[in-house]
Amino acid sequence: MKLLVCIKQVPDLESRFKANAEGVWYNETDLAFRMNEYDEYAVEQAVQLREKLGDGCELTVLSIGPDRVVEAIKKALAMGCDNAAHIQDSAASSKDPWQIASIISAYAKDKGFDIIFTGMQSQDRGSAQVGVTVAEQLGFACTTTIIGFAYDGGTVTAKRELEGGIKAAVKLKTPALVTCQLGLNTPRYPTLPNIMKAKKKEITAIPVADLLKEAALATTTSFHPPAKKGGGIVLEGDVADLVEKVIAILKDKTAVLR
Amino acid sequence: MFLDLTEEQKLIQNTAREFARAELEPVAAALDQSHDRTPLLKNLKKLAELGFMGLNVKGQYGGSEAGVVAFSLAITEIARACASTAVTLSVSNMVCEVIQAVGTEAQKNAYIPKICSGEYPAGGFALTESGAGSDPSGMTTQAVRDGDEYVLNGSKIFITSAPYAGVFVVWAVTDKDAPKGKGISCFLVEGGTPGLIVGKEEKKMGQHASATNELIFDSCRVPATAMMGKLNDGFRIAVAELTGGRIGIGSLALGVGLAAMDYATGYATERVQFSQKISNFQALQWMMADGYTELEASRLLLMSAAWRKENGKSFAKEASMAKLFATETANRACYSALQMLGGYGYTEDYPLERYTRDARITTIYEGTSEVQRLIISREILRNFS
Repeated sequence: MKLLVCIKQVPDLESRFKANAEGVWYNETDLAFRMNEYDEYAVEQAVQLREKLGDGCELTVLSIGPDRVVEAIKKALAMGCDNAAHIQDSAASSKDPWQIASIISAYAKDKGFDIIFTGMQSQDRGSAQVGVTVAEQLGFACTTTIIGFAYDGGTVTAKRELEGGIKAAVKLKTPALVTCQLGLNTPRYPTLPNIMKAKKKEITAIPVADLLKEAALATTTSFHPPAKKGGGIVLEGDVADLVEKVIAILKDKTAVLR
Repeated sequence: MFLDLTEEQKLIQNTAREFARAELEPVAAALDQSHDRTPLLKNLKKLAELGFMGLNVKGQYGGSEAGVVAFSLAITEIARACASTAVTLSVSNMVCEVIQAVGTEAQKNAYIPKICSGEYPAGGFALTESGAGSDPSGMTTQAVRDGDEYVLNGSKIFITSAPYAGVFVVWAVTDKDAPKGKGISCFLVEGGTPGLIVGKEEKKMGQHASATNELIFDSCRVPATAMMGKLNDGFRIAVAELTGGRIGIGSLALGVGLAAMDYATGYATERVQFSQKISNFQALQWMMADGYTELEASRLLLMSAAWRKENGKSFAKEASMAKLFATETANRACYSALQMLGGYGYTEDYPLERYTRDARITTIYEGTSEVQRLIISREILRNFS
């Protein structure tokens, strides 16, 4: 059984973002990077399955990006992945979801993976397209935003959360791809001995040019903070009048009061 | 010259930071106020399972083999959230390291894995006595040989984690006629050994969650095999191992200092007086500039000492410099940070008073600032004579 988990390294979302010189993405200088939150759920789920299936199972982690993404790869290895593929691409952030998916598909197509795990979206780009596109390109069964996962004899049973808290159960025959959502699991902390042992696990470096044959279908043309709004409304006067004014505004402008 | 951390060191730092934020920070204030140590013990167990009890210990004994730099980084991150947890960790790591450095294979296998795995909540380091603090060679606790055993009598004070430490490294006089420091030996004494009594707990100014107790030896019998290192060579062991512990305490102080300045700086960017954020005032800007500059200098001193130890170079002077500077800096940083919060800083509704109390001991334990200056000047003068 062969498993693949795809991860992305993203900036800490508490960072202060500034547009880069071209004005189409953020400037990476001084940002602290970490593993995309949804990908952590994917890694945790993949590692849990890997542990359950035992030695006959091999779990590979893949990440696309510059050298810094090796840190995220090493975290995934420390969490329990067996080996890694680092698709070296210093310009990954300028590629559209179609290209990113095409790179993953080109890597995975002749490797015989049974299940591919991805996050449901990245915290920075947030397109939520890569996972499903990979599944489509590889002809895998696919379901998204899963919050429960079980595997038994060639069938994945995934639990999904729909709008309004409604749950759905989906069965997929492998090969299958699932995109993972908050609530699926609690990602483990990598233990320190495992962090040190991960040094010995194999990370295969592959230049992106070896895998990417597709042109972009979409281009980001602008990256900018929202326009500054006015300073809000300042109400003054008698308290009794103020209450009525606030209620009127809440009824008129929001769904808080009806 | 390469000043960046390795990927492994960064991962360990991030793991420590994330754990501290998620598990330690939410309980730190309550731990400081309450006498219930259940949350502390729970977190120590989790930290052990993650590998934080034996950072610089070999894998064969259950350690992480992560090195001294990673140890320093981890203690700092833990201390940013909870100094009491950090000191327990620092001392337990030191106990593992001393056993690894001088213990027999049997002693290493018997105790280090139990501390590293969390089976023992902590390890204890029993050197100080009421009459032997900065001058530990003046100790009077005795160990007298009796057949295949040693009988220990006397008492120790200020012993970190005494009520829950699974094993203590204990120093006792084995030749009272020998010159000072030449008649002391080192023993491993298990918690719960008959005759080993955990005495009164000190009521301290800070670091409340970390227990600090008297330890009494009342005809406490240990097998002769409990002796660690050579007979009458114990004082040298103590001196050598305290040096590594200083990196731990310096790193702890850095964490507390950073926590204080981070909190106060964040506060200053929100607090409005005279119709503007108080971070606009140069008086506060200078406090921030000085505070963070000294904290950064502390960090570099600590990294240098840790790197030297990790790479087998002499590090006694550097560890003392780092401990001296980082702990004095942490106290100044806490003082300024509390001042930045004004009256609120003095209340228990904000963490600054806790940080300030927690920081105070760092210039005292594991060698006072005065003792550090003695060590540093001695090392300097050695090169001039």
